Amino acid sequence: MTFLELTEGPFWYVALVVFTVGVAWNIIAILAMRVRDDSALPRKSPVGGGIRAIFLHMVPHGGFFSRTAYHVIVGYLFHFGLFALLLFGSFHVAFIEKWTGLSWTPMPRWGMVIAAEIAFGGLILMWIRRWTDPITRQISDRDDHIGTGLTMLAMLTGCFAMAAASDGLRAVHMLSVELLMLYFPFSRLMHAFTFIFSRYFMGAAYGKRGYVP
Amino acid sequence: MILRSILLVVALAFGATALSGLTLAAADDPVAGQVPGQSLGSSSDADLWRAVRAGQPQTINIPGREAAVLIQSEGENWRNIRNGPISMIGGWLLTGVIVLICLYFAIRGRIRIEGGRSGILIPRFTQMQRVGHWFVAALFILLGLTGLLLLYGRYGLPYLIGKDGFAVLASAALQAHNLFGPLFLASLVVLFFTFLKGNIFSKEDIWWMAKLGGFFGGHASSKFYNFGEKNWFWMSMSLGFLLSFSGILLDFPGLLEDRYIQQLAHISHAIAAIIFISVGLGHIYLGVFGVEGAVEGMTTGSVDANWAKEHHDLWYEEVMAEKAAKSGGK
Amino acid sequence: MSDVATKVLDHFVGQVGAQAATWLQSCIHCGECAEACHFYEVTQDPRYTPTWKLEPFARAYRSRKAPFAGVRKALGLAREPDEAEINEWQELIYDSCTMCGRCSMVCPMGIDIASLVGLVRKSMAANGIGPADLFAVAEKSGEVGSPLGVTPEKMEDRIDWLTDEYEVDIPLNKEKAEVLLTISSIETMKYPQSIVAMARVLNHAGIDWTFSTKGYEATNFGVLSGKADVAKVMIERIVGAAEAVGAKTVVIPECGHAYGALRWTGAMMLGRPLPFEVFHITEYMAKLKREGKLKLKPMADAITYHDPCQISRRGGATEAAREVLDSFATDFREMTPTGNANWCCGGGGGVAAIERATPLRHKVFEIKMKQVEDTGAHMMVSACANCRQTLDGGKEHYKWDREIGSLVEIVADHLVEA
Repeated sequence: MTFLELTEGPFWYVALVVFTVGVAWNIIAILAMRVRDDSALPRKSPVGGGIRAIFLHMVPHGGFFSRTAYHVIVGYLFHFGLFALLLFGSFHVAFIEKWTGLSWTPMPRWGMVIAAEIAFGGLILMWIRRWTDPITRQISDRDDHIGTGLTMLAMLTGCFAMAAASDGLRAVHMLSVELLMLYFPFSRLMHAFTFIFSRYFMGAAYGKRGYVP
Repeated sequence: MILRSILLVVALAFGATALSGLTLAAADDPVAGQVPGQSLGSSSDADLWRAVRAGQPQTINIPGREAAVLIQSEGENWRNIRNGPISMIGGWLLTGVIVLICLYFAIRGRIRIEGGRSGILIPRFTQMQRVGHWFVAALFILLGLTGLLLLYGRYGLPYLIGKDGFAVLASAALQAHNLFGPLFLASLVVLFFTFLKGNIFSKEDIWWMAKLGGFFGGHASSKFYNFGEKNWFWMSMSLGFLLSFSGILLDFPGLLEDRYIQQLAHISHAIAAIIFISVGLGHIYLGVFGVEGAVEGMTTGSVDANWAKEHHDLWYEEVMAEKAAKSGGK
Repeated sequence: MSDVATKVLDHFVGQVGAQAATWLQSCIHCGECAEACHFYEVTQDPRYTPTWKLEPFARAYRSRKAPFAGVRKALGLAREPDEAEINEWQELIYDSCTMCGRCSMVCPMGIDIASLVGLVRKSMAANGIGPADLFAVAEKSGEVGSPLGVTPEKMEDRIDWLTDEYEVDIPLNKEKAEVLLTISSIETMKYPQSIVAMARVLNHAGIDWTFSTKGYEATNFGVLSGKADVAKVMIERIVGAAEAVGAKTVVIPECGHAYGALRWTGAMMLGRPLPFEVFHITEYMAKLKREGKLKLKPMADAITYHDPCQISRRGGATEAAREVLDSFATDFREMTPTGNANWCCGGGGGVAAIERATPLRHKVFEIKMKQVEDTGAHMMVSACANCRQTLDGGKEHYKWDREIGSLVEIVADHLVEA
């Protein structure tokens, strides 16, 4: 079996299983803990508040934009760039089609390059902030840096393989993605899934009182 | 002491290795018409090439700007320049700089803060400046490493990892280099405006230069930036922009009418890169290791007052005067 | 691990349900919460970053209850706080958090840091870890009915004295009444004119109301200190009194956390729905105004309004004060920021009762001073006696030249008597 066959075969299956089961277990386990209700008479709908919070917290509000601008802008650049790359990069579209049969029109190559540049720019700028801002220096831990590092590695190896001319480079990229998938369910990267619930719970609790912070 | 001795040995070792590099680089030079390597065909001499070069583009009935030129012979010149003087001189420059830095450190050691740290901090660089600097620095490392691999990798790596292995590595390096290049241009523009203030040459630079910046003893006065730093700013900006523009031409060859321009772009890109990296090594050495108290200006944003007094005393006096005016006014 | 540390962490993790678990796991360490916290704002000390206040307890959750906690422990990745660290964290959980909830506004994950701090306080308080003065005050309110020692007898004396001194009818212990009014001990002891003002307003509106010595104390130092048993007792007393007089409405005086304690968490502590409606005095005055029962003459002074966090941002009653002030206070200016985004006074959440937190609290007052001075107003009006006490303390410390006022008092001063 070649290295590429290994990384697109058994390693991929293992990573996929660990990722899906891990993420599902994580979410189900925390939701299965009691959902506490304060039994108070609601002023407004908690469900409405919860849904409002999910969307409201996508944008800075309450006058905080000027204080959080760097983080918000750079963070979005990274996330948008990464999602554009993952969902519309031609290699990924082909990969998804191979595994699920679903396909859609990918971006042209220059689109992929620009999305990658935005994603890299965002990630590097965020990591620099984590190292240089006194607040993030105080509160950051190993998990934060490993998560960023593995994401950076996956993106970098993907960039290396962009000529689509080497099985070895493609396999290394697959491997780094698999490492990320194995790490994901046990780390802060789970925020990608938990953010909906954490915003909802806060919005429900306070929306009930009449104002979603 | 131990570190200094190790670095002295490293410098000498580097120097020795560089000498042997001469022979490696010379290996592939074609000699008097004999075609090197195991290629088919028997001769490739001056007369033949002169005839080829004298040729003109003819009419063709297929599309393609360059299709009318069968042999773009300037490519041979370009290849010889790239594998010859650029590789050689560039190699000497890079190794020479490393040797010089190691020697300087071995002899002079780390430039300590005279009188030790005072514990009083003075803000020096804003968050925007620091973030911009480290962003460009990160890209510089990424681009520099991939670029050096592309320029010099062929002289040693195929022997270590095989030709196929090197091909893969070079392909990876090229993809990364091409992707990060445009980001470098964008961030350099931002860096230019954030660091411009204070970098205009002025008359105290002459005195600083006369004292050789204090590198060989003595004290040289300076304002916010000294003459060396100003030079580094303008050099890195001009080299950086030259690298960026030539890089764009190389990254988007479709923009070009003529392959010759691309070859010129490549040569200037390589020359600018080697100079940039060489002087950059000096910047990194001084900023990170060579001068005590320097790096924290760029990480935390503030520097120790004694460091400021020693290296930028005129700036220090300005800051103190401003502070006095503020508190006096209150 | 010491016994105490184990007990604290077990207690904390035992309280964690789905919401708390989701919040504890969702923090991405972005640090934006610091931008909203008044304690960070005035010190620039990164230790006051709200998420940092929870750090050791988040770690304990990850190693004891989080999904895959067992795996983490087995791999030796669990780094739980020991007793020394839990003790060290007292300052961050009690002295430098007012549970104002401003950090939740800015958190991209929408984490309710304030209520998580509340959970930690319960665990610490159950094991005697915390500021002694705050705990003493909480115990006193449980034992005698008030944090400042206002026993039912003292309450009667006070009401008698106020009735005589101010010549106002203040019903006490009526057999039946529509409305039960409660008070804050801070008002009883420090700002008794507020009680008189409330009486005047309710009498002016012709309301059938009473105080009751069975349940009069609205403040809940059980909630503030984390002493859950005391918190429950304080709620039960008010509910008992309301049921005894058959009141369908309970009015909370000028106090912030008292409103939240009864209106939003009272039913949970009681174990059944509350048998009456709860209004904060600002909400009740707004209601009276809407019903045409409040006749006010205009007030021309330049005033601004400080929003008590537990009434506005965490209470949902921000608009009430504005409704009351509308077209009555003709020179009312909003400060910046205002309403739901307003800065906390720095004394809420029991911090005002913690002596060692005084220098920090005073520093926070600098934010309020600037806010008020920027509006050009002469008086900062509020509707919480704890805020008022804190702001008065700041005013005295800095020899500030502006006034601190109470909303119910200025309303009472401008009633048009028939």
